[in-house]
Amino acid sequence: MANNSKIKLTFNTREVEAPEGVTVLRAAELNDIYIPTLCSHKDLSPFGGCRLCIVEIEGMRGYPLSCSTIADDGMVVLTETEAIREIRTELVQLILSEHPSSCLICKEADECKPFTKTVRKSGVTTGCRYCPNDGQCELQDVVNYLGITELSYPVIYKEHEPERMDPFFDRDYNLCILCGRCIRMCQEVRGTSVLAFNFRGNKTRVGTAFGRNHIEAGCEFCGACINVCPTGALAEKASKWDGIPDGSVIATCPYCAIGCQLELFHKDGWFSKAVPVHDSEVNDGQACLKGRFCMGEVSHHFERARKPMARIDGYWKEQLWDEAIEKAAEKLKDLKPDEFAMLISPDCTNESLFTAQKFVRTVMQSNSIDSTARSSLGGGLPFWERMFQKPIKIQEIKKAKTILAIGLDTRFNFSIIGVEIRKAIKAGARLVTINSRRSNLAQYSHCWLQVEPATEGIMLDALVKSLFNNATDLKKELKLSGVKKEKLADALELLKGQDDLMVIVGPRIFSYTDNADLISSITELSKKDNVSIIPLYYGTNTRGAIDLGAFPEILPGAVFKGDEKTTKKLESAWKVKFPKDDGITIDKIQAGECRPKVLYLVGAVPFAQRPDCDYLIVQDIYEPDFDVDLYLPATSFLESSGTLVNMEGRVQDAPGVEKLPDSVMYGRARPDWWILSQIAKQLDVAGFDYESSDNVLDEISDLADGFPKSGRIHRKMDTLRVETVLPETVPVSAKPRKKSGFLLVMQPGGYSYRGVDITSKVEGLQILNPEEGFHLNSEDAKELGITEGEKLIVTAGDKSGTACARIEDEIPKGAIYLFKPLAFGGLKDRCDLEQLFRLETNPCPVEVKKVGV
Amino acid sequence: MSKTALNKRRKTAEIKWKSLEENKKPILFFGAATCGNAAGAQETIKAAKKTLKEIGVDADIIEVGCIGPCYLEPLMDIKPPGKPRICFSNVNEEKAEKIIKRFFLKDEIPKLGLVGHFGDNGDYGDDIPRFYDHPMIKPQVRIVLRNCGIIDPSEIDHYLARDGYVALESVLSKPWEETLDLIKQSGLRGRGGAGFPTWKKWKFCRDVESDQKYMICNADEGDPGAFMNRSLIEGDPHAVLEGLVIAAYTIGASKAYIYIRAEYPLAISRLEKAISQMEELGLIGENILGSGFNLEIKIKEGAGAFVCGEETALIASIEGNRGMPRTRPPFPAVAGLWGKPTIINNVETLGTIANIIRRGADWYTDFGTEACKGTKTFSLVGRVRRTGLIEVPMGTTLRKIIFDIGGGLFKPFKAVQTGGPSGGCLSEEFLDMPVDYENLAKVGSIMGSGGIIVLDKDTCVVDLAKYFLKFTQQESCGKCVPCRVGTRHLVNILEKITKGEGELSDLEKLEKLGESIKRSALCGLGQTAPNPVLSTLKYFRDEYLAHIIDKRCPAAVCRDLVVFRIIPEKCTGCQACVKVCPTGAITGPRSEPHNLDESKCIKCRACYEVCRFDAIAGDAIEIVSGEDKS
Repeated sequence: MANNSKIKLTFNTREVEAPEGVTVLRAAELNDIYIPTLCSHKDLSPFGGCRLCIVEIEGMRGYPLSCSTIADDGMVVLTETEAIREIRTELVQLILSEHPSSCLICKEADECKPFTKTVRKSGVTTGCRYCPNDGQCELQDVVNYLGITELSYPVIYKEHEPERMDPFFDRDYNLCILCGRCIRMCQEVRGTSVLAFNFRGNKTRVGTAFGRNHIEAGCEFCGACINVCPTGALAEKASKWDGIPDGSVIATCPYCAIGCQLELFHKDGWFSKAVPVHDSEVNDGQACLKGRFCMGEVSHHFERARKPMARIDGYWKEQLWDEAIEKAAEKLKDLKPDEFAMLISPDCTNESLFTAQKFVRTVMQSNSIDSTARSSLGGGLPFWERMFQKPIKIQEIKKAKTILAIGLDTRFNFSIIGVEIRKAIKAGARLVTINSRRSNLAQYSHCWLQVEPATEGIMLDALVKSLFNNATDLKKELKLSGVKKEKLADALELLKGQDDLMVIVGPRIFSYTDNADLISSITELSKKDNVSIIPLYYGTNTRGAIDLGAFPEILPGAVFKGDEKTTKKLESAWKVKFPKDDGITIDKIQAGECRPKVLYLVGAVPFAQRPDCDYLIVQDIYEPDFDVDLYLPATSFLESSGTLVNMEGRVQDAPGVEKLPDSVMYGRARPDWWILSQIAKQLDVAGFDYESSDNVLDEISDLADGFPKSGRIHRKMDTLRVETVLPETVPVSAKPRKKSGFLLVMQPGGYSYRGVDITSKVEGLQILNPEEGFHLNSEDAKELGITEGEKLIVTAGDKSGTACARIEDEIPKGAIYLFKPLAFGGLKDRCDLEQLFRLETNPCPVEVKKVGV
Repeated sequence: MSKTALNKRRKTAEIKWKSLEENKKPILFFGAATCGNAAGAQETIKAAKKTLKEIGVDADIIEVGCIGPCYLEPLMDIKPPGKPRICFSNVNEEKAEKIIKRFFLKDEIPKLGLVGHFGDNGDYGDDIPRFYDHPMIKPQVRIVLRNCGIIDPSEIDHYLARDGYVALESVLSKPWEETLDLIKQSGLRGRGGAGFPTWKKWKFCRDVESDQKYMICNADEGDPGAFMNRSLIEGDPHAVLEGLVIAAYTIGASKAYIYIRAEYPLAISRLEKAISQMEELGLIGENILGSGFNLEIKIKEGAGAFVCGEETALIASIEGNRGMPRTRPPFPAVAGLWGKPTIINNVETLGTIANIIRRGADWYTDFGTEACKGTKTFSLVGRVRRTGLIEVPMGTTLRKIIFDIGGGLFKPFKAVQTGGPSGGCLSEEFLDMPVDYENLAKVGSIMGSGGIIVLDKDTCVVDLAKYFLKFTQQESCGKCVPCRVGTRHLVNILEKITKGEGELSDLEKLEKLGESIKRSALCGLGQTAPNPVLSTLKYFRDEYLAHIIDKRCPAAVCRDLVVFRIIPEKCTGCQACVKVCPTGAITGPRSEPHNLDESKCIKCRACYEVCRFDAIAGDAIEIVSGEDKS
C-alpha cells in the first residue's frame, strides 16, 4: 500500500492496528489472529471460493468475506461466532465430500504413523501413504481447527486420472479442492496463464487449455503452483513422499547469476526440496525450474563421483585423500609457469575461486588461472567489468515504463526476469523485443523486431542511433537485419520520449563472432543516465570470479594486472613475489596454442575430449567422459558452504544443507578450497591454513573491497566498486552476410553446473531437453524431408557434425540453431558436434542434409 | 445527424407508416420471430406467396415480431386495403392457402383460425371479434411490448413513426440529472430479477469519477422457459437500443455492450441491423443529435454459460475471461468492466425507459402497486392452455395470469413456478397473491426475469425440483464450494428420493443444506439455487413424504416408483403396444386384451404413448404408483 497510515480495528475483543487499505483477513494475519481460509493467499487477488473466511462485521448484513472486505477504521469484526462456526463446518464437510479423506477418518492413523517411513505409494495395512501432503496440508489444519471428526456427506471420488506425464511434478486433481491458487499464481504473479479452470459445475477442474500437456501449454515449470497448493494435488515428483521435513536453511541458488534465495528443506540428513523464499529481495518468492526442481538429482545422482581416484599403471584406482593429495603435489612440484594451467568454473563459490587463484599465484608462481566464464563473456572482460560498474537491479524491472529486451527468452533460463517483465507490462509498461527467433516474450511484446539471425546487435545499434543521435539514414541496418522500416518506426514510437529505459540483454547474443555493434551500442547506452542495463550471462559466480581475480589479467579486488598498489598489497599479505607472466587462458588451450604439461580443471570441463597435456587433474562432482589421471571429488552446493556474488553484485550465502560423514556410501567429497589448500600445504607453502570457508571469506574481505567478513552479512548491492583502468578491446565490425543456404547459429547452453551439463542428470530436463540437436523451422524441415528426431548432418567446409532434428516454429526460416554447451560433462552424445563447436565464425553458412541421403 | 434532420426523417417515416395504414394493396403480416419460425411461419410465408401468385393477387408481405399468443402460432394477419388487420391463428401451409383463397377470391372473411381484427368496434361487423378483446390479450397492458408484432422490426422508420427516439431527443437536450430524476419518480426497478431501483444504480455509477464508464445491456436470457427478452429484441430492437443510449448518457458512459447469448441468432441479427441503422442516422457514434454525447455500441455473444447472466461473470466474459462471478464489493457500478464503473441493465428495463420519458413518470406510476410500478412481461408456459408472451401491470394476481390470460389448465392445477431455476414453486393458496418482487420473495420464490411455468397434477414436484437443481448444478461455474458441491448433494438426495430410497432424515438434510447454500454461496446463482427444493419442501411436503414413506409418486412420474398396467376392459388387442415394446414384456393374441409382464418392463413409456395416440381404442395403458399398484 502506498500510504503508510494505520487504522485501528477490533477483532473479537482485541483492538489491533493494521495498515490502511488491507483486507480484513490480512489485518488479522498481520496480528496473528487466525481466520481459516483455503483459497486466499497474500500474494494473490481475493477469490472468495472457499467461503471459509466469513466473519461478522458490525453494521454489515450477512457474513462478509474477510478476504475481500477492506478493513476500515473502527471496524468491529467477530471471527468466531456460533453461526459462523456452523457455516464453516458445513462448508468443510462439503469440501471433504469431494476430497479423499483417509488422512482424517482412518482409525489406525495414530498407531501406524510411526511406521510410515516405509515408502509405499499404494494403500497397505500399515503405514500407508495416501497423500504426499499428509501432515503439511492446509485442509487438515482447517479440519483440526473446526474439530471435525466425522463426515456428514457421502464422499464422491472425482475419478480424475492422476497426471504424471509432465516432468518435475505430478498432478492428482482428485485431491484438488479448486481453490484456484495455482491458477491465480500462474496468471497474476507469473503472468504465464498456463493454468485455468476447465469445464463447469461439478466437472470443474484445473487444467491447461484444450487439455494439452504442460510442455506444449508453455509451462515454465517454475513450481510456483505447487508452492501455493493447500493440499497434495500438486506435488514435486522427487520429494513428494519425503513427508514433513526436519528443517531448512536459506541458501542461494547455484544455477545462475540471479542468485535466487531458496529455502532448502532436509529430511533425515538429506536434501529434500527447494522452495523459493517468500519476500526475498532478489527473486520475490519465485524461482525457475532449475532452482526449484534440479537440485536433488544433480547432487544425488548415482553417477556422482565421491571418492578420489587415480590412474596408476593403467588402472583406475580409488585413493585415500592423503594419497591423492600427495600425488597431486608430486605432479605440481617444480613446474615452470608455462607448464601449468588451471581452469576453474564460475559456478564455484567465492572461497573456492579465491583459494584457487591464490594457489596458482603463490604455489605455482604463475598467472595461469583462467575461468571458463571467459567463454560466455562475449565482448571481453573489460566490457563486462564496465557493465558491472553500473547498478544492476532486478527488482527495478517491474517499475520500468519501457523495456527493451534483446535476444532474450525467459521460459526456462532467467525466468525470474520474465516474471518481472510481465509484472511491468501489467502495470502498463511497453515492451519492445529484438529477437531473431520467436521468444516466450514475443506474445507480450508491443513490438517485436524480428531480425535476421545474429543481427540483434545491428538492430540495437539502429535504435540507439535514432533514439539518441537522431539518425535517419538506417538503410544499411534495416537491410542487414531484414526489418521493415515501418516496424522500426513502431518500435521507435514506443521507445521515444520515455523518461526511463530498461534494457535487458539475453545471454545468447553475446556469443556471435560479430558483436561489434552490440557491444558498442550497449556501451553507448550505459553512458546514459536514464537507461538501466541488465546484461545476462551464464555462470553463477562470474562476478565473483572477476572480483576475486580468477583470470590471468585480473587480480583480487577486480583490479587489472599491473596495478602497483594492489600488487603490493597482495605481496605483503601473501608474503610472496607476484608472478609476472601473461598466464595461459582457456582460449589458448582450446586453440592449441599452448600445451601445459599439467592441466588442473576445477569444476570446469570445457572439452568434449581429453585436452592435450601430460597429466590431467580434474576436481569436480562428476568424472568427465574422458580419461583423466587424477580425480579429486569436490562437494556440491548441497554439501558445503560458501558465498556467491550475483549479477547485481550482492554477496549471498550458500550454506550447505547436507552434512554427511565420510563413508562408503556417502564418499569423501571435500570443498574445493580444502583440497587446494591441502595440496599447498603438502608443497610446504604457507598461507593456506584454512579451517573453514569462513576463514577464506575473512581473508577475502581483507583483500577485496565490498566483501563482508564471515558472519553472514549480505553485501549491499550499491557498494561502490574500485575504478579500474580498462584496456579497450576492438571487436570485429559488421559485414553484410551471404543469404543462400542455411545459417548455423550457435547459442551458448544454459544448463551447466561446474563441469557437468545438468540435463544429463535430471530426468525432467531430459524430457524437456531444450538444448539437444539441430533446431529448425517446420517449413525447412518439410523441404529437407525430415521429421522430428531424424538425424541431420551439417557441414561447413571440412567440418561437420551430426545430431537429431528438433522442429520448432520459433526458429526463423533458413536458420539452424545449435546449442554449444559450456560444460561437456555427461554429454557424450554431443561429441559428434565438436567440430561444429570449434567453427571460427558464429553464425556460419552451412549445408544441411538428412543422414543417409 | 442533427435534430432537424431527424425530425425531417421522422416526417417521411410517418408518411411511410401512414401509407401502410391506408394501404392501397393488401398486406399480409406474419409473426416471424423465433417462436413463429419454430411453429412453421417461414413455410407458411412460402405457401402464402405461392397462393397469392397463383390467384394473381398483388400483396405486400411483412414479417413482424411476436405479438404474444405463442400457442396460436404461426400467426397470419391480412390487411385489406384501407381496413384494419385481421388475425388468423395456427396457419400452416394448407390453411394459408385456404384462407387466402377464400379471402381474396370469395371475398369473405373465413372463420378458419380467425382470432380477430385490430380495428375498432364495428369495423367488420359483429361476427368478427376484436383482437384486443381476445381473453388472452384484453387483461394485458402493453408498454414494453407496444410495438412487438405491430411494426417491422427491421425498419427503423416504423419505429420512428411510432414516436421512436423522441425520448432520446428530449433526454439529450437536457442535463442528465433530469432524466435520473424522472426515472426516480417513475419508481422503475430492474427487471433482471432483483428489482433494484434503476435510478439508484445509475446514480452510484454517475457519482464515481472515472475517465471511462461502460453501459451494458444484459440479454443473456438463460432461464429454461423464459423468452421475454428474446421476443422484445426480435420484435422491437430499437426500443431496447433507445433505452441503452439514454442510460449511457445518464450515467456518462461512452461505450456500451450488449451481451447476448449466441443461441439467439435472429435477435443478434436484428440488433446488428438496428445498430447499423442508428449509425446511419447518427443516433450512435460521435456527437449524437448535436448534443456532444458520443456512444459506441458493441455486441458480445455469450458462449452458452447460464452463469454469465450474473453481472460480474458477464463482465468477466466480456473481458475475455472465463465467466466466473467475483465477490462484491466492489460493485460493478464502482469497478466493473476493465475496472471501470459499469452499469448492467436488463433488456426489459431498457425497453421501458423510452416509454417513461415519453409519457412521463406520473403516467407510469399509474400502473402497478405501491412498491412496484409499471408493468412486467412474463413468458407464460407449462400446462396452461394459452401459452405465450404477456405483459401485465405489477400486482396482477397469479390467478388472473394463469386462469384469465392463460385460460386455465387442461388438468387440475398443482403449482406455479416463477423465476426460472432460481425461483420457487408455489401452491394453490398463493394464486390470489399480487405478483411483485416483495410478495414473491416473501413466500420463497423470486420474480426472476419473468418466467412463469404452470404445473398440473401430472407433474411430480420432487422430479421438478430435481430437474431445476440439476440445471443449476451443471451451470454452476465451480468457483465456490457451497454452489459446486452443495447443489451436487442436493441433486443426489433428490435422486435418492425419486428412486424410492429416501429416508425421512433426508428432508432435514435438504433443508439444512439448502439454507446453508443460500447463506454462503458467492453469487446469485448459488444463493437462489436451493429455492426450487426449499419451496417445494415447504408447500408440497406431502409429496416428498409419499415418495419416502409410501414409496409412491403421486403424479406417477418417477420411474422407479411406477408400474405400467393394461386395463383389460379398454384394451382392444390391436397389438400396437406389442410391436413397440423393446423387451417383449407385452404379449397377447390379436383382438384379445394383452398382458404386460412387469418383470420385463423397463418403463420406457413406448406402449403408453402408442396406446394414447396410435392404438385403435386408446388409453388402455395406465401408469400407477404406490398403493394403486396392487
